[in-house]
Amino acid sequence: MEYIKVDDLAFHYEDEPVLENISFEVNSGEFVMLTGENGAAKTTLLRNILGLLKPSKGSVTIADKNRWDEKLVVGYVPQQVSSFNAGFPSTVLELVQSGRYPRGKWFKKLDKEDKEHVRRSLESVGMWDMRHKKIGELSGGQKQRISIARVFATDPDLFVLDEPTTGMDIHSREEFYKLLKHNSKDHGKGILMVTHDHEELRHYANKHIELIRKEDSPWRCFSMDSCKEPSKHHSLSH
Amino acid sequence: MFFYGFMQRAFQASFLISLIAPVLGLFLILRRQSLMADTLSHVSLAGVALGMLLGVDPTWTNILVVIAVAILLEYLRIVYRTYSEISVAMLMSGGMAVALVLMGLNEGGTSVSINQFLFGSIVTISEQQIWLLLILTITIGFLYIVFRKPMYILTFDEDTAFTAGLPIKRMSILFNVLTGVTIAVIMPIVGALLVSAIIVLPAAISMRLSKSFNGVIIIGIGIAVIGMLSGLTASYRYGTPPGASITLIFIFIFGLTSLLKKLSASSRYERLNRRRNITGDTN
Repeated sequence: MEYIKVDDLAFHYEDEPVLENISFEVNSGEFVMLTGENGAAKTTLLRNILGLLKPSKGSVTIADKNRWDEKLVVGYVPQQVSSFNAGFPSTVLELVQSGRYPRGKWFKKLDKEDKEHVRRSLESVGMWDMRHKKIGELSGGQKQRISIARVFATDPDLFVLDEPTTGMDIHSREEFYKLLKHNSKDHGKGILMVTHDHEELRHYANKHIELIRKEDSPWRCFSMDSCKEPSKHHSLSH
Repeated sequence: MFFYGFMQRAFQASFLISLIAPVLGLFLILRRQSLMADTLSHVSLAGVALGMLLGVDPTWTNILVVIAVAILLEYLRIVYRTYSEISVAMLMSGGMAVALVLMGLNEGGTSVSINQFLFGSIVTISEQQIWLLLILTITIGFLYIVFRKPMYILTFDEDTAFTAGLPIKRMSILFNVLTGVTIAVIMPIVGALLVSAIIVLPAAISMRLSKSFNGVIIIGIGIAVIGMLSGLTASYRYGTPPGASITLIFIFIFGLTSLLKKLSASSRYERLNRRRNITGDTN
C-alpha cells in the first residue's frame, strides 16, 4: 500500500531551483533510504513531503489511512530540535510519553499499555535509566536517541527520519537499523530515512534514492538520477 | 489593610493573576515570545487612549485592540520566522506611537490619568475588573487542562506538532489572543511598563527549579503568589507603585534562587569529589 507518493516534485527558493524531477513512492513495509552529498536538499525534500514546505511544482500525497484502514500516523524525527538546547523544562519520560498523547482525547490519561509502550521505546534506545533526567542535560547522541524513542512510542505507520543516527556509535546504529528493519518487515511500517551512512544502511534498506546535482543547471539544483524509477534503478533489496 | 475594600480587591486580583501568569509566562518563554507581553502592553496603551478619545470604557477598546494586534503578531511571526523580534520592534513602537498620538488628540478631555495605566494603581481596581479576571482565570485554567498536552508538543517543536496533525496556527492564535486579553485586563492593575515582567518572571524562576513541565507550572504559581502578595503588601506599606514592587521582589527571588542553586551545585560537587577521594584512598 502506497504511504507516500511524490510526483514530479520541484522546489524553488524564491526563483532559484533547488529540487527538480523528484518522483518516488514509499510503500507499507518498505525501508527507503535517501542520500546525497552535503547541501543536496535532502531535508528540504522531507519538509516538502511532510507539508512543512510547499512544492513549487508537482505533488506529494500522504495516505490518509494505513493498511488496516485506520488513520495513518506519521512519526517524524527532525535533524535538530532547538528546544533541546534551550533548557526546555521536561524530563526524558515526559517527552517520550508525549508520543502517546492521542489526538482529540487530551483528557485521557496514559494507561498501562501506553506506559509499557513508553518503557519499551526507551529501552530500545538504551535510555530507560535516564528517564528522570532533564532533556537539556543530555548529550547530543542521547538527545537523538530520545527523539527516536518518542517516535517509537507514537507507534507510527510511517517513519520519516532525518539523519537520526547523528552522534550514535556504530553498535547503537546497527541496533537501530535492525529495529527499523523489524518494524518495516514484520509490522508493515513505511520508512523514509535521510542518511549519510548508506554503506551501513544498504544491508537493511529496500530502496535507495540518491539526490544528484543537475549538471545542466546553472543553479545548485538536485534531482534523482534522470528521474528514473528509483526502486528499479537503485534497488538494494535482498 | 484588609479592612479597606480596595485592598481586598487588590489581593483578590493579585491572587488570580498569580494563577494565570506562570502558565502564560512559561509558554511565552518557550515559544521565544517573552517580548510579546511587552509589545501587547504597549499596544494596550493605544487601546486605552482610543477608549478615552471615543469616550467609552477603555477596558473594552483595550481588549479589542489587543486581540487584533495579537492576531497580527502571529501573522508577522510567520512572515519573519527567522527574525521574529522584527514584529516585536515594529508593533511595540507602533503601539506606543498610536497611544501618544491619540492622547495628543484628546488633550484636555482625559478624565483618567494615563499614568494609572503606565504604572498601575491598586486603588482603582473595580469589582468589574475582578469579575473579568475571575472569568479569564477560569477560561485559561480550563483551556490549560484541555490543551496542556498539545501545547506541550507545540512548544517543544512546531514541526513535530504539525506532523502530528495539530492545528498549530489556530492554537497559536488562540494563545496570542488569550495573552492579549490577559494583558489588557491586568495592565491597569500592575502597569503597562511592568506587566510583561509579572507574567514572565515567575515562569523564568521556576524553570530553573524544576526538571518537569508540570513542576515548572506548579512552582511558578507558588512563586507568583508569594511575589504578588508580598509585593502588594510592600506597596501598601511604603507607598511604592505595585507593579514595580512586585517586579523587584521577583528579581530578588530570581537572584536568591540562582545563588542557592549555585551553592547547592558546588556543595554537591564537593561531596562527590570527597566520596571519590575516599574510594580512591581505600582502593
